[in-house]
Amino acid sequence: MYEQGYTRYRILRIVVLAVGVVMLLRLFSMQILSEEYDAKALKNIVRTEVEYPMRGEVLDRRGEYLVKSRVCYDVMVIHKELPKQGFDTLRLATILEITPEALAKKLSQAKKSPRAPIMVTNYLSQENKLLLDEGGFTGFHTRFRTAREYPRKIGGNLLGYVSEVNDRQVRMWEYYDVGDYIGVGGVESAYETDLRGEKGIRYRIYDSHGALKGEYNDGADDILPVKGAQLTSTIDARLQEFTEELMVGKIGAVVAIEPSTGEVLVMVSSPTYNPDLMVGRQRNNNYAAMLHNQRQPQFNRAVKAKYPPGSTFKLVQGLIGLQEGVLRPSDRYPCSMGFSYGTRKMACHAHSSPLNLQDAVAHSCNAYFCYVFRDMITNAKYGSIKEGVKRWNEYVYSFGFGRRLGTDLYGEGPGYVPTPEFYDKSYNGKWNWGSVISCAIGQGEMGCTPLQMANLAAIVANRGYYYIPHLIKDIEGRDSIDRRFYERHYTLVDSINFVPIVEGMWRGVNVAGTSGKARLPGLDVCGKTGTAQNPNGADHSTFLSFAPKNNPKIAISVYIEHGGFGAEIALPIASLIEELYLTDTITRPDMVEKVLNFTPNYSRNYDAKQRAYDKKREEEQRKKQKR
Amino acid sequence: MISEYNISRRGGQESLFGSVDKLALGLYVTIVLIGVLCITSASYDPESANIFSLSHNYMKQLMWVGISWVAATVVLLLERRLFHMFAYPAYILGILMLLACLFFGREVNGAKAWFEFGSIRIQPVEFVKIATALMMARVMSDYAFNIKRLPDLIKVALVIIIPFGIIVLQNDTGSGLVLGAFLFVLYREGLSKYIYFPIIFTVVLFIAALIFNPVVIFVTLLVLFTLYNMFKTGEVEGHVRFFFAVVLASLLLTLITPLSGYAALMIVCGIAAVALAVLALKTRTLMLLWPIVMFVYAMLFVPTTDMLFSHLEPHQKNRILTFVGLVDDPRNVGYNVNQSKIAIGSGGMWGKGFMEGTQIKYDYVPEKHTDFIFCIVGEEWGFVGCFVVVALYMALILRLMRMGERIKEPFGRVYCYSVAAILLLHVLVNMGMTIGLMPVMGIPLPLMSYGGSSLLAFTLLIMIAIRLDASTSEKDIYSNI
Repeated sequence: MYEQGYTRYRILRIVVLAVGVVMLLRLFSMQILSEEYDAKALKNIVRTEVEYPMRGEVLDRRGEYLVKSRVCYDVMVIHKELPKQGFDTLRLATILEITPEALAKKLSQAKKSPRAPIMVTNYLSQENKLLLDEGGFTGFHTRFRTAREYPRKIGGNLLGYVSEVNDRQVRMWEYYDVGDYIGVGGVESAYETDLRGEKGIRYRIYDSHGALKGEYNDGADDILPVKGAQLTSTIDARLQEFTEELMVGKIGAVVAIEPSTGEVLVMVSSPTYNPDLMVGRQRNNNYAAMLHNQRQPQFNRAVKAKYPPGSTFKLVQGLIGLQEGVLRPSDRYPCSMGFSYGTRKMACHAHSSPLNLQDAVAHSCNAYFCYVFRDMITNAKYGSIKEGVKRWNEYVYSFGFGRRLGTDLYGEGPGYVPTPEFYDKSYNGKWNWGSVISCAIGQGEMGCTPLQMANLAAIVANRGYYYIPHLIKDIEGRDSIDRRFYERHYTLVDSINFVPIVEGMWRGVNVAGTSGKARLPGLDVCGKTGTAQNPNGADHSTFLSFAPKNNPKIAISVYIEHGGFGAEIALPIASLIEELYLTDTITRPDMVEKVLNFTPNYSRNYDAKQRAYDKKREEEQRKKQKR
Repeated sequence: MISEYNISRRGGQESLFGSVDKLALGLYVTIVLIGVLCITSASYDPESANIFSLSHNYMKQLMWVGISWVAATVVLLLERRLFHMFAYPAYILGILMLLACLFFGREVNGAKAWFEFGSIRIQPVEFVKIATALMMARVMSDYAFNIKRLPDLIKVALVIIIPFGIIVLQNDTGSGLVLGAFLFVLYREGLSKYIYFPIIFTVVLFIAALIFNPVVIFVTLLVLFTLYNMFKTGEVEGHVRFFFAVVLASLLLTLITPLSGYAALMIVCGIAAVALAVLALKTRTLMLLWPIVMFVYAMLFVPTTDMLFSHLEPHQKNRILTFVGLVDDPRNVGYNVNQSKIAIGSGGMWGKGFMEGTQIKYDYVPEKHTDFIFCIVGEEWGFVGCFVVVALYMALILRLMRMGERIKEPFGRVYCYSVAAILLLHVLVNMGMTIGLMPVMGIPLPLMSYGGSSLLAFTLLIMIAIRLDASTSEKDIYSNI
């Protein structure tokens, strides 16, 4: 008995030792051999927190703020940390400037994931943030953000706005995480990488209840956020605001460029909107309202719209004719209220006839440029009209039409220039110069953006070259903007050939012609009106101008949809802008009055569209309610 | 009885502390103090105005250490015979306490196993362990007792099963399983080793049935038993033939009938088992019967596992499923163990230092001062600390066993072994749980976990063993070998 007992004692001793050894082996493998747990322990307590940088600001060319950043806060709640005895929800709702119902909704949403921070509201002002901190609402946290502010409330489409990134953007770019802000449209989008700055990272220690316990490694590994770069824009804020005022009630666009640099002085797409509408809690509502507006305030007509250039395009036609040698400045062509070809006739208005090139420009004779265009494309040296049009295309492209200019303007469109292939297609290969003659006077299939037209004004002002128009001339922390903005782009037309055209434009304003009202004493304004026919209603009114004639300071294009004759509304707007820019004064208040009171008749298109759209929406809503 | 009387007289009251086992006492004190240190680390609040306030866990525990040591002194001063006398009343009292708890107790974590007096909670099962150990010792030290006799074995079994049953009814199965430690004692006292095979076999089958496909289990068993028989009988060819016959027959049955592979295997194995049993009985090769019986048992047990399992409480099911790795749920059931493993695993060789454990300090380990107190050792003192603590426990257990061996009469030996076994099981299950070797069972680490009743109970448990041993001089054990 005892013998067996002793044997079993020894066996049991081994069992006990085995238990100890197994424990220690396991401990050894976990503590010494495995690194896995060290990382996990660190991951448990250290949370990386993003510190958002201040977004860069945008100045106008004179140094005043176009876009400012102001401090605001997101308010987050972690449901688990809320006091169990409850808190003053009414007071909190007042501080957060939301309804108690909205707060209750957010709190019940937070209850579903009690440990995660859930956003209660955003765009909390700094004053209210202090109130929140004083109130001692445990469980509520704030996160530093910046919101945009627009001192002059101008440049809606020009500047763009800031929005939260969407899922696609998060997936596409490494930099962005859910909740980040990103520029949408305009300068905000085009210069996103400069404006956004660098996000900072803070490593902080949290306990398992989510309470902050301190800085990890005393903050030695933290990365400070870097403020976004401040941009200096080429825009003249005062001029921009003035132009936007003039454009109220009109649909169209104004673009003004400094010819000697390509700097965009003014860019208005009308209707525009107050950029402040795209900031803050009401943003979504405001955005939706804009979407329902059939005048499409968010459509940047200045760079996207394809308008027929109308008579302003005669400048290009004349220049090409001169360069091609099919036209001499002294050539005269007859015009008897139009240009007849075959059985058809291109109408013209009453003016003396025949005219030379300068007067044809000044009086905007249709027939004259039809002759020029016909002679150019039917020139025997090209063999066929197709080749002629091809050559014409090359000229037109060199003026920046039918292609994107490569500006820093967000959403720039290419416009459209008809090609022989296009005519082959639409005429089944059977077409002659008569089929395309309307291009001679900027009608037909031609589509130009107001930006391209302003660029044309700059080309003529420069007598043959342009700088790519751009909106930003200085980026904080950089020596220069992109080099492409410093390069001269020459057209295929020699500088010498611009002389008669410029002379014509000058005469149109200062001697006798369609642009007489644009005359400004001592400024030598050159201009060209345009009245573009279109299938949607009344003619579009357009005016292309630069001043002064020598050493031009401003080149401008104004385009007013259904504004009638070029001289009727586009010209006064352009003239007033030129005057304000060049002389800092407005000497013709009656003209301002006239422009402000001018109301184009949109009843046939935009207004009718809006009525039909509203009716449809109403019906849809009624149907929804019934359901 | 006479000899025992003589021993106690020989020991004498005056020289009692001289004959107390100083090693065991020293190990006990060391472990308790390490426990207090760990609880201090877990509950120290630097912002507290009064660090000696009794509102702190470590001060409460220190108070309980004081109470326990007073109780220990009393125990050491008691006459040795008293424990022998107390066995029955203590056991009956323990059973009554358990029953009272079952009806009037307070439910904590789903187990109705607690009494509450004001701020103090007492778990009767802690003291029932002492009573049961005393009772075991008493029953097994009877002159007429022989463990190989069935009535005596049943008597012993009842001593264990009655409290176990009540504890299971209390829904405190984890604590109940501690009574399984007495199997360790019974083995020492000569219980046939064949009793242990079915128990181990059942546990292994249970876990296997949860993890593996039954077909895999049975094919494995088939291979194992065939190999066993092969070695036992020395006949190779016949057994290989038998094995392949069963497998092929099962495959054939699966192919030609719509039966599933599992069903086919069960049918073939059933027929084969009956045939083999008949053969074994006829040829009187009875040793072949063992594997057949175990195989048939497995055939019955595996399909019923799901049924058994479905009777468990949801939290128990989850704990088991998480442990065997069938459920990976680090947020819920697995959360405690996961965080505990991170705490210990990140301790490294030397640990992060006293009160520097991030998992502890920042509250990532739940129950860090009670069931998961070993995490504090692991994280703050590293492998070295763990080694020391494990070694201390193993030394205490081995010392208790040795004390049991040197006490000549069975009462003391059975008691000492009981204490060693209870400690071993607690240490194994608790530490095993913190390092993911054992499912979560909610039993404390003896002497270290925070909790007054637990500390007091383990102190009494160990002190009685020391007291029983104190009257035996070192010489006795050598004179008997």
